[in-house]
Amino acid sequence: MDIYETYLGFLKDEEVSPPLAAILALTEIMERSNAGTTFELVEELKDGAEALNKQSKNPISLNAGCKLFIEFITLFPHASAKFSDIRTELIQQGRQYVAEALTYRQKIAEVAFDFIKDDSVILTHSYSRVVMQTLLMAHKRKRISVYVTEARPKGLGIRTAEMLTAAGIPCTVVLDSAVAYAIEKVDFVLVGSEAVVESGGLINAVGSNQLAIIARAASKPFYALAESFKFHRLFPLSQDDLPIHNPSLFSFPISQPKAAPPMNARPSVFLPSSGETSTDDAESPIRFTQEQIAQNNPEVDYTRPDLITLVFSDVGSLTPEGVSQYLVGMFTG
Amino acid sequence: MSATDPVVASTDAQAPSSSSQNAQSQPAQLPSSQPSQKSMTKAERRELQERQRAAKAAAKQQPGGGKDGQQKQGGGQKHKDPTGSSSKPPPKTTAPKSNRPRSESTAVRATADAGAGDSSSSSRTGLRIFTHFGLSGLPTKQVKVAGGDLVHPAITRLALMFGEFKICGANARCIATLTAFKTVIQDYTTPPNTTLSRHLMSYLSPQITHLVAARPMSVTMGNAIRQLKLEISGSDIDLPEQDAKDALCRKIDDYIRDRIIYADEVIEDLAVEKIKDGDVILTYARSSIVEKILLRAHRCGKQFSVIVIDSRPLLEGKELLRSLSSLQSPSSPSSQSGIQCTYALLPSLPSLIQDVSMVLVGAHSLHTNGSVYSRAGTAMVAMMAKEHSVPVMVCCETYKFSESVVLDGFGKNELAPSKFSPSSPRPDSNPNLEVLNPLYDATPPSCITAVCTEVGLIPPTSISSIPLALGKTNL
Repeated sequence: MDIYETYLGFLKDEEVSPPLAAILALTEIMERSNAGTTFELVEELKDGAEALNKQSKNPISLNAGCKLFIEFITLFPHASAKFSDIRTELIQQGRQYVAEALTYRQKIAEVAFDFIKDDSVILTHSYSRVVMQTLLMAHKRKRISVYVTEARPKGLGIRTAEMLTAAGIPCTVVLDSAVAYAIEKVDFVLVGSEAVVESGGLINAVGSNQLAIIARAASKPFYALAESFKFHRLFPLSQDDLPIHNPSLFSFPISQPKAAPPMNARPSVFLPSSGETSTDDAESPIRFTQEQIAQNNPEVDYTRPDLITLVFSDVGSLTPEGVSQYLVGMFTG
Repeated sequence: MSATDPVVASTDAQAPSSSSQNAQSQPAQLPSSQPSQKSMTKAERRELQERQRAAKAAAKQQPGGGKDGQQKQGGGQKHKDPTGSSSKPPPKTTAPKSNRPRSESTAVRATADAGAGDSSSSSRTGLRIFTHFGLSGLPTKQVKVAGGDLVHPAITRLALMFGEFKICGANARCIATLTAFKTVIQDYTTPPNTTLSRHLMSYLSPQITHLVAARPMSVTMGNAIRQLKLEISGSDIDLPEQDAKDALCRKIDDYIRDRIIYADEVIEDLAVEKIKDGDVILTYARSSIVEKILLRAHRCGKQFSVIVIDSRPLLEGKELLRSLSSLQSPSSPSSQSGIQCTYALLPSLPSLIQDVSMVLVGAHSLHTNGSVYSRAGTAMVAMMAKEHSVPVMVCCETYKFSESVVLDGFGKNELAPSKFSPSSPRPDSNPNLEVLNPLYDATPPSCITAVCTEVGLIPPTSISSIPLALGKTNL
């Protein structure tokens, strides 16, 4: 059985997010495992989690799910004498948790609802299921209008705009580069999350960090929505410290030997060789395609905790400090 | 309460004798030094205990003694008020007196060292607003304890090493203290008509007092001693004496192993992950755990360089520089060289900080409000790093956690002994010039990115949940 395929299969369900799909994939491993003890079972699950981690391009949020589930199994009280009973119990627990977790978005929408005032103008980023649910719920009882960023390169913001407009919410797509312009009209920023990390910071679709910085500069609240299974014991010290970081990100293209400036020279601005470079351009025009740009750029970024006003989750609305204390308690207590 | 009471009472019994002895040996003289904070609090504690005992006695005398403890205490205080007001000053006045032999001995030592004893003692008198800082010194004569016992030689030796700063770091002092206590416990015999669990602590407390007289107690020692007290009071009465002593020594070994040695290994693992190829790591002064992390990262084959920032008076960074740069791998001494290091003093930090990818520092103690109490200068390094958006990681074991709030370096600090004072601008060249070398400062939580502990990397704001993370309510 290929665990990654199984994982992708679960992910096809529109409602299931990566951490939950990972948990379901791990229960599938348990189902087929012939381990005789809990230790063996946990080892198998760890291998499975590792395989998922390796094959996925952006493993942060699925890792959160795997860690949570493995932690749960290690701490599970072994009441039953027969191991097979424990295993079925664990599998059942895993599935039950996922079923329950699917209701978390509704809970979060209710928590966040109190923070949305009538006639609010909300700025959101890219596409997030939990943000959609919150906005749709708020629309039922309050008048809201929404700005959504385009969120290049995937352009998922357009999807958000289409769905909100279809639901009757006034919605405008804002260019990623126009956020600073639009922020003045906005009451608060509401984003989803890929993972909430131990510092209380946020990992989300790239662009969230600059949104948070702009919101702070304009003194607008920045709210994040996160289900508790996205809380992740990870502590990035900087953007480079994220697990998705690899040296090819923002690497400089290997320049043609002709175009390379002579040694000791400072950047070409100072060189009186503009005529020469233009002839080079004529010979082989350098083009940057959207795919190349996307390849060279990260999918997610890290938002510092001090930029986040509140994190709404199914365990309540937490400050970033509260998130980190919750995490410390959850994984050690 | 009932288990600790006898211990309390016996320490109390010794207190007057030692203080009166000091008072006799030191006739009226202006206090050349104010009490260290530790001794102040000790005096206050003693006073409180006395009051509580008086309260209890008063409550017993009263016929309707069925009130709850607080009321009893309050009533007792009121009852004792006329005498209480008169009994309040004595501990305060005896405290400086009990401190005087220490400061005098410092002066004497300074005279022996450099022939500048008078100036150093006069400088001490001038620094009125800093007189609450703990002063390190050496008790010259052995303190007599009740029952005629002397301070154990192992403790005398340790106190000398503390006073001379031969053993200086928080971890080193804690390990040395616990190891010395093991010897003391093994050499201890329970006097007749008492039990080990009740008497041993009263035997240990003068030893602790002797250590604290040499240098104020560190948070690490405080936490360890508190744990030891707990173990002693909890030891089984019916156990044969030798078995009980062995059990205690085992507990001490476990404490050192679990809270320091294993904790350090976990911290090393976590911190080494954060060091990447091509990084420039900046560190300040010398911390045993930072040194271990850097050496481990080097062993793992990571390519990084280190900037050691150092400052007077202790210049501990030199030692770190030596161990990092003279490194040779035991397997192939020729192929591997030391870590590439840069050594600079604190004033040159601004020009170096721009190239730094991470700041790694150690700590003396962690506090509930998230501030980190560490070698003086650390706060400046952390602030400078924050200004330049360089992540600051503090590496620290959780047993350094202290349930107190530290807002600045003035409330509580320690002064470096005069032997570390600069030699060129002598205080005697200008009567208005005084030397002040605080040993520690407090780094505010806002300047710290992460604290690397054995329970994981946590933000400084979560320091208060360390006891929770350890699954208990008291350390």
